[in-house]
Amino acid sequence: MHSQPLVLGHKSLGQVTEDICAPMNRRPGFLWWAAFLASLSLLMVGGAAVAYQLSTGIGTWGLNRTVGWAFDITNFVFWIGIGHAGTLISAILFLLRQRWRTSVNRAAEAMTLFAVMCAGIFPIIHMGRPWLAFWMFPYPNARGSLWINFRSPLVWDFFAISTYFTISLVFWYIGLIPDLATLRDRQRPGLKRKLFAFFSLGWDGSYRTWLHYETVYLLLAGLATPLVISVHTIVSWDFATSVIPGWHATIFPPYFVAGAIFSGMAMVLTLMIIARKTMHLEDYITPRHIDVMAKLLILTSGMVALAYLTELFTAFYSGNPYEQMAFVNRLAGPMAWAYWIMVSCNVFIPQLLWFRRVRACLPAVFAISILINVGMWFERFVIIVTSLHRDYLPSSWADYAPTLIEIATLAGSFGLFFTCYLLFCRIIPVVAIGEVKGVLRHGTDHGRPRTVEPEREKTGPPAREPAVVEV
Amino acid sequence: MSDQHDFDQLERRSFLKIAGFSFASVLASCSRAPVEKAIPLLNQPAEMPPGRALFYASTCAACEAGCGILIKNRDGRPIKLEGNPDHPISKGGLCAAGQASILGLYDSLRIKTPLIQGNKSTWETVDAEIISELRTIAARSGRVRFLTGTVTSPTLRATIDEFLSTFRDARRISYDPLSRSAILDAHLRTHGVRILPRFRFEMADTIVALDADFLGTWVSPVEHTVGYREGRRLKGQPARMSYHVQFEPRLSLTGANADRRFAVGPEALGLIAAHLAERIISRVHAQIEVPALASPPVPSGYLDRLADRLVQSPGRSLVISGSRDVKVQLLCNLINHLLGNYGKTVDIEQRSYQGEGNERDLSQLIEELRAGDVDALFVLGVNPVYDLAGIPEISSLISRIPLSVTFSNQQDETTELMKYTCPDHHPLESWGDSEAVEGVFSLSQPAIAPLGASRAAIESIAAWSGQAGNAYDLVRKHWHGKIFPRWKGGTSFDEFWDKTLHDGWVELPPSSPRPNPFNAKGVTWVTQVDGPPAGHFRLMPYAKVGMLDGSQANNPWLQELPDPITKVTWDNYACLSAKAGQDLGVTTGDVVRITVSESTASRSLELPAFIQPGQHDGVIAIALGYGRKTTARFAGIGPEWLEAGPSVNSDGLVGQNIWRLTSPLDALMDPNGRIVSIAATGKRRELACTQQHHRLITSSLVSGPVKPPGRQVELSVLNSGSIHEAGHAPAGDSHEDLWPEDHKFGPKRWAMVVDLNACTGCSSCVVACQIENNIPVVGRDEVRRQREMHWLRIDSYYSDDSTDPRPVFQPMMCQQCGHAPCETVCPVLATVHSADGLNQQVYNRCVGTRYCANNCPYKTRRFNWFDYPREDRLANMVLNPDVTVRTRGIMEKCSFCIQRIQEARIRAKSEGRELKDGAVMTACQQSCPASAIHFGDLNDPTSRVSRLVAEDPRRYRVLEELNTRPAVTYLARVRNGIEEGMAREEAGTNHG
Repeated sequence: MHSQPLVLGHKSLGQVTEDICAPMNRRPGFLWWAAFLASLSLLMVGGAAVAYQLSTGIGTWGLNRTVGWAFDITNFVFWIGIGHAGTLISAILFLLRQRWRTSVNRAAEAMTLFAVMCAGIFPIIHMGRPWLAFWMFPYPNARGSLWINFRSPLVWDFFAISTYFTISLVFWYIGLIPDLATLRDRQRPGLKRKLFAFFSLGWDGSYRTWLHYETVYLLLAGLATPLVISVHTIVSWDFATSVIPGWHATIFPPYFVAGAIFSGMAMVLTLMIIARKTMHLEDYITPRHIDVMAKLLILTSGMVALAYLTELFTAFYSGNPYEQMAFVNRLAGPMAWAYWIMVSCNVFIPQLLWFRRVRACLPAVFAISILINVGMWFERFVIIVTSLHRDYLPSSWADYAPTLIEIATLAGSFGLFFTCYLLFCRIIPVVAIGEVKGVLRHGTDHGRPRTVEPEREKTGPPAREPAVVEV
Repeated sequence: MSDQHDFDQLERRSFLKIAGFSFASVLASCSRAPVEKAIPLLNQPAEMPPGRALFYASTCAACEAGCGILIKNRDGRPIKLEGNPDHPISKGGLCAAGQASILGLYDSLRIKTPLIQGNKSTWETVDAEIISELRTIAARSGRVRFLTGTVTSPTLRATIDEFLSTFRDARRISYDPLSRSAILDAHLRTHGVRILPRFRFEMADTIVALDADFLGTWVSPVEHTVGYREGRRLKGQPARMSYHVQFEPRLSLTGANADRRFAVGPEALGLIAAHLAERIISRVHAQIEVPALASPPVPSGYLDRLADRLVQSPGRSLVISGSRDVKVQLLCNLINHLLGNYGKTVDIEQRSYQGEGNERDLSQLIEELRAGDVDALFVLGVNPVYDLAGIPEISSLISRIPLSVTFSNQQDETTELMKYTCPDHHPLESWGDSEAVEGVFSLSQPAIAPLGASRAAIESIAAWSGQAGNAYDLVRKHWHGKIFPRWKGGTSFDEFWDKTLHDGWVELPPSSPRPNPFNAKGVTWVTQVDGPPAGHFRLMPYAKVGMLDGSQANNPWLQELPDPITKVTWDNYACLSAKAGQDLGVTTGDVVRITVSESTASRSLELPAFIQPGQHDGVIAIALGYGRKTTARFAGIGPEWLEAGPSVNSDGLVGQNIWRLTSPLDALMDPNGRIVSIAATGKRRELACTQQHHRLITSSLVSGPVKPPGRQVELSVLNSGSIHEAGHAPAGDSHEDLWPEDHKFGPKRWAMVVDLNACTGCSSCVVACQIENNIPVVGRDEVRRQREMHWLRIDSYYSDDSTDPRPVFQPMMCQQCGHAPCETVCPVLATVHSADGLNQQVYNRCVGTRYCANNCPYKTRRFNWFDYPREDRLANMVLNPDVTVRTRGIMEKCSFCIQRIQEARIRAKSEGRELKDGAVMTACQQSCPASAIHFGDLNDPTSRVSRLVAEDPRRYRVLEELNTRPAVTYLARVRNGIEEGMAREEAGTNHG
């Protein structure tokens, strides 16, 4: 494995720049337009649904007196989970010096940002009075210094997500600066060049600049790493600190983090395969990347499966009848279908990835990655809806079915995500040019034909090597 | 601006003119209003203080029971009806229908002007035309018929009688859609007078009810509940309470409260009564010959023991029946006579006037109508075209009467066909009186000036008999002449009148002639049972709590009030037993076609089925009062949005009129109910049900010992003191706590105690809460989506199998937890704890995350999913000004009627005294006929709630194991069990 190059095709540094920047100067192809228009349509449908819901009321959703959250918070947790892979790849894998990440980290970080944007919409629109959403913010006020409730997990959520979004954005932007400079230098004078010049913050590619840049990047990676754990831990507290059977569980933080990484990885894989095909990046996103990601999916799938089993065991072993009821209801109640979709997609289907032939088969991996995301969406749905719809007093048990507005809102969030992602593909290099060049080893063996040096692989190169900017 | 401009240019002379007129108009408005229009004040204040509620004693007119009410007036308009605690019949309770009747006052669709053939007219024209037509009828000795429901008002009765006496052939005919006629007919045969006795449940140790829903809808439910509650109060050491057995075809509210209940067909009631009578005859050695009886449909051993128990306490039992079969009633009379109940629990001296209808008279009227012999028909208080829809030609019969007059103020089925509509006042606008039971006279007084040009029925009738006068004078005149002479108080009439008006009632010695001694010869025995032929069912129309005969079907509160048993709102449906459903291949929500076959034609009706545990297999029970014209108004009720559904059927009405298949007259031919066939249609109609699952599915799914939230305990267990071993840990014995008490409580700590043994599930608290707290009506579709807004609901749990469901009702409202799960999770502190122990919801602060509702283990929080329409400005007059109307997107819930606490507190403070125990009454507590709800201060060790919470062995808190520390304590329901000699070993062996 390690003997395989991370970038195929014996690229020169100039070729790399050319390969990655080329799509941005070309007119977009048919596939891009088709995808973009489809995404934009979805976004418009979702936008209309949200506008209708905001003008008419939460009643346009299928919620009721017993099930107070359903699609809204399911979508929220789902998108937050998606976001995790980006930070994981860019920060944790960076610190662990997993060099294969360079081809995918830019796309994954962008995915994080867009996913967190999608996620951030739901806590706001799920409020009965979203125009007062700013009350969640602890700002000095004239209402007898009316403060927020620091005991509420929703407040913690608010802070966790805003922090996460900020750090992710900064991290992504810092990583983007060398590439923005490259783009600046490739542009003819004009507005585009001015913009790139502005956002590249006067990057000059000097050794000093690289040195500062590397330090900042390393520090930010260190800062972002705990967030991978904290954000979903805090999101899980929304449920874990409640009294509802099926929510009130100490296993939730690790369970949610594992699930988030699982779903995020699956989403990265989905996007990678699409980007590889549509942007012609076969040389940068290689079968090896796919293979590594697929193995990570096996690992995280196992963690999620362990969590599912632990939950069942806890319910059985606790002797708590309400807890037992909650899980019997999940397995065999009126919404058992959702549970079994979840288990099938998240536990059974990923086991196919144990086979090398499956991992090597791109369509199969693509299909599995999508199914995992379906499964992970249902995991949140199962946790939220099947726990709520039958809790303590049987008199208040209720069913839940989504309305068209809710389905359109979910579709709209996908529309937003893909619209942003497709625009990102057109404006910003999908692969971090500067970082990929680092794994080409041109920086150390400049001028010589590229060969792989096994001993260097063992000791590992410095985390990041300054790349030479070629114009 | 223009006004100012005008004033600038005002000349001296114009100014003087205007000033003069203004002064004159001020003087005019200062003049004393005529006394009959004034608002009489309880204690004449110098002025009406804005913001202070004034209460006027009056009489409820929602049904014939004649409960005493207090009309709560705020700023000159009635906003709520409460029970009059001093009233000798209702003793402070008021049923759901009675409470809801206030909305009729503010009904913007009420007819408020006289109509001639549907066109607006004036009283002068109408009076002139009617009088001239009456003259011609009188001149040719035409037939005048006056069709009424039961009339309890002595003045109205006298006025009608006087009016009719001016004609040669004139008669008043009364009928009750909820018929009691058979009881009266039976007494005519056994006692020689057609009377309805007054049943004294408080004096009965053993109650045997043969299909009499006396706690829910039968005769005088509030009065009965008060008495029943008294008998069921645990007394003595060891504790005892009355024993109640119910034999009935469908699970009624009363059956749900019984110690023992048997599901039997309506035709079997007579045989059960016969067997009971036979056993009692043999035990008391009466000289009455008993024919050979078929074997009883219930365990014979049980009847033996029941007879033993009845005979052991002569004069202290009650055997009643709601059957429309005179034979069953005769047997009940015989049993009551043998047991010495007459004169004790069955009061025929202080008899009841709460039902006087006579189906024989009605049937005779129909014959006259068929013959075209009726020249004038007056209709008051009934809707014959609706009630007699089973007679297909009824519309044409009525529309061809030359002079037809209705007093209805509703655009109903009858009003449409009548030539003249002379709308009566709403009872809250009008003077009136009532004598619900012999000697107990109540007055009704107007609490507001009439909102339209309607006129009291007595005024109209008096005007046509040439005695024009206003209702006040007419009532006063009648009282002066007929009622005051019976008064032994020795004061002047004015004093008598003022006192009665102040109290709302007066009790006078009975004056009706004594009935004859019991005559056993009139008794007809029922010796066998004729069940419906195979594959057929008996149709059983029944009255639903709140809806009753449907006269208030236009009341959205009652339409949205869940039925206590089925929890269904906004519809009637075909109740079937589980077995019947299985045989027909239908389940709840499947539409069935019910067909009545007659010799000439067959009539059918389509209704959704409802599988009802505890129902007899051969019976299909359908609620009355639905499918009324007046429900067409609900087509647009509830929020309007993309997927909203209507509250009405495809025909634009709520529910179906079951009188289309049967008729009140069927009691004469087939008192046990028509035989119908039922077929599945393959269609579905989801019912708007507020509670999906009645049974504790938890206990069947997992083996864990789930304690039912609504608990029952057998009396023997309670008496043995082993209640706690039976899994009923008492409240208050909480464990050592890890956390410090995080709320600092002030001098008060409000708490509630709900006695499940007293609660009958009658749901009057639900309506009381809705009115008090301005809770919106959301419509059928929203209820179907489980979004009803009631702050107080009544949960019902079946704790046994489907053949013998032993329901227990549990009023459930915000538990005002000491450790409230909702409080910690709200991000914006919109729900917080008050120093006096209340869990407060701050509407202004709420952003609507719904996290609090998710985290509430009791699910008592309600979310405003929409801006619920409050477009009807007249209906908005009923809103309680003390309670905010909530906007869209915020959470709300029971506040323990914080506005009432505040009001009592302010009053105590301004009077410089301490707030006494009992000074604060929540709306639900006030209305409860069974006094099941207690409210008070837990910090005061002498308060009622403190004593109950500390001492009652039945106490428990719901989900106490979660350490939520609820402020609401429940007292477990008690049932008589094996200990009381009513062994259960034969249970389940034979159920009809």
